[in-house]
Amino acid sequence: MLEKIKELICNYVEEDPADITENSRFIEDLGFNSYDFISMLGDLEEEFGVTIDETEITDVHTVGEAVKYLSGLKERQ
Amino acid sequence: MNKNEIKSVAGLVQKSAEEFGGKAFLKELVKGEVTEKSFAEFYTDVRKFYGYIKNKYGCEKQIHTAVIGPSSYGWLVSWFGTVCGGNTAVPLDAQLSCEDICELLVRSDTDIFCCDPRYEKMIPAVKANCPNIKEYISFAELSGLLEKTAPADLPDVPADRLAAIVYTSGTTGKSKGVMLLNSNYIDNAMCQDNESTPDDTVLSVLPIHHIYCFTCDVLLSLRYGSTLCFNDSMMHIPQNLKRFAPTIMLIVPMIAETMYKQIKAAAAARPEIPIAMIAQSVFGGRLKTIYSGGAYLRPELQKAYIDMGFNMAQGYGMTECSPRISTAAPADKECAGDVGVIVNGCTVKTVDGEILVKSPSVMAGYYKDEAETVEALTPDGWLKTGDLGYVDEKNRIFITGRKKNLIILSNGENVSPEELENKFAGYDIVGDVLVYSEDNVITAEFFPAAEAVKNLSAAETEAKLLETVDSVNKTVSSAKAIRRVLLRDAEFEKTTSKKIKRSQSAQGRRIR
Repeated sequence: MLEKIKELICNYVEEDPADITENSRFIEDLGFNSYDFISMLGDLEEEFGVTIDETEITDVHTVGEAVKYLSGLKERQ
Repeated sequence: MNKNEIKSVAGLVQKSAEEFGGKAFLKELVKGEVTEKSFAEFYTDVRKFYGYIKNKYGCEKQIHTAVIGPSSYGWLVSWFGTVCGGNTAVPLDAQLSCEDICELLVRSDTDIFCCDPRYEKMIPAVKANCPNIKEYISFAELSGLLEKTAPADLPDVPADRLAAIVYTSGTTGKSKGVMLLNSNYIDNAMCQDNESTPDDTVLSVLPIHHIYCFTCDVLLSLRYGSTLCFNDSMMHIPQNLKRFAPTIMLIVPMIAETMYKQIKAAAAARPEIPIAMIAQSVFGGRLKTIYSGGAYLRPELQKAYIDMGFNMAQGYGMTECSPRISTAAPADKECAGDVGVIVNGCTVKTVDGEILVKSPSVMAGYYKDEAETVEALTPDGWLKTGDLGYVDEKNRIFITGRKKNLIILSNGENVSPEELENKFAGYDIVGDVLVYSEDNVITAEFFPAAEAVKNLSAAETEAKLLETVDSVNKTVSSAKAIRRVLLRDAEFEKTTSKKIKRSQSAQGRRIR
């Protein structure tokens, strides 16, 4: 899942996937603007076949938190 | 549609039903399926909603209905059912805190609270804090309510009847309740011609409580008979572009930036395909015209879209002017950094550099706020926009900054912080920048773009930022030069429309 997320991140920022870690923060470290982030959530829904509730995602700031959130969501759904 | 016949919002809805009848007015996703409502069905439902209010509350008192939630058919029926009956709608930003919403409900004298099912959870708090609200309607109950109600004939709503109280989001201070009359909305929806046709499809992605979305997506669709498609979530714009294949889209610059990044990424992966073809595919295959508004659009970005084959037009307006003051003709490909040509019926002048506007679209004032009204409107009816700028010989408006943000130095020199901020737009290292005066010194506070500084040490980042500041300083007079520089680690606090809040205190570390 981490590798796929890294791949999707690279659609928004010119980043080498190898440089993206679980600790990378979307806005501060990767340079996402807030709409980049929202748009990527739509990509994640499609990729992992889940439905994301935008109001639940406010605690997700890092790549690792996104992986954890999606893993939990996949189990629940 | 003969625009001279339309005097009220009710007249517009009625006329659209007569002219476009069974044609699709609205498409939206409900539980994953596209549902459709025709212009005629919409008109009937608007009359039913009015019938419900009239049966229950009579016609003596003007009812105020707050409408809260993302774009939906229920939102539209509540807003239009209220306004077409001569009552007043209060569209509220669903992203506000419950506390802020309660405050606005009280300030707007709301009688009926209509909300998307997602916001039903705030009803107990609203009940506790807003004792004057008489009724709560969830959009989930709306179809049942309409089924039980007969459509009523719409009254002849006077053009000067208060249609809505629209609260400004504002980057500074307390939000103000802009009073818009039926005539304001109609003037702004009718001021231009040939903007769209019944063959057009509009994908509406911006928040519907925002006047730019409401007038330009909703009212123009009613006027021209275009089909309006609601984007169900900001997460799903790419999917809905493919699903609805729009021909027209209104966006804000941030969306334009992200979409451009996606197009560039797709083009990099498939270099054998022309970027224009990839761009068209990303936008659903039929998109012709993109209107950008709400914030500054970089001319380079505008040009990039034009080069990919789109009509990319930038407009300018404000809630107090319903909102359009200027709009670019889609055919204008010059990208001169202007915000469009002044719309018909609107007169613009500048006084001490500030743009003043007179037009039938200008608001009646701020609700229950005489002091702010007097501040914003001159006795002879000019709206003080608070924006600094000028009009060129082609009637195009150029914005240079906000008057209230103007820095007046001790030597009397006036400096527009936005003018300086915009000069950093072309530098990769700058994520966000805020310019202000501190101790009478022009100060720039930066949040760097992560991508540009990822391989730089802290010292290199500082050096590069200072180099950027020096480059910008060379383009301005020495009085306007940035003398103090702060670097911050955390993003700036922003409004719900993603503009930097100018009132926040400095948090950056001083590097010069």
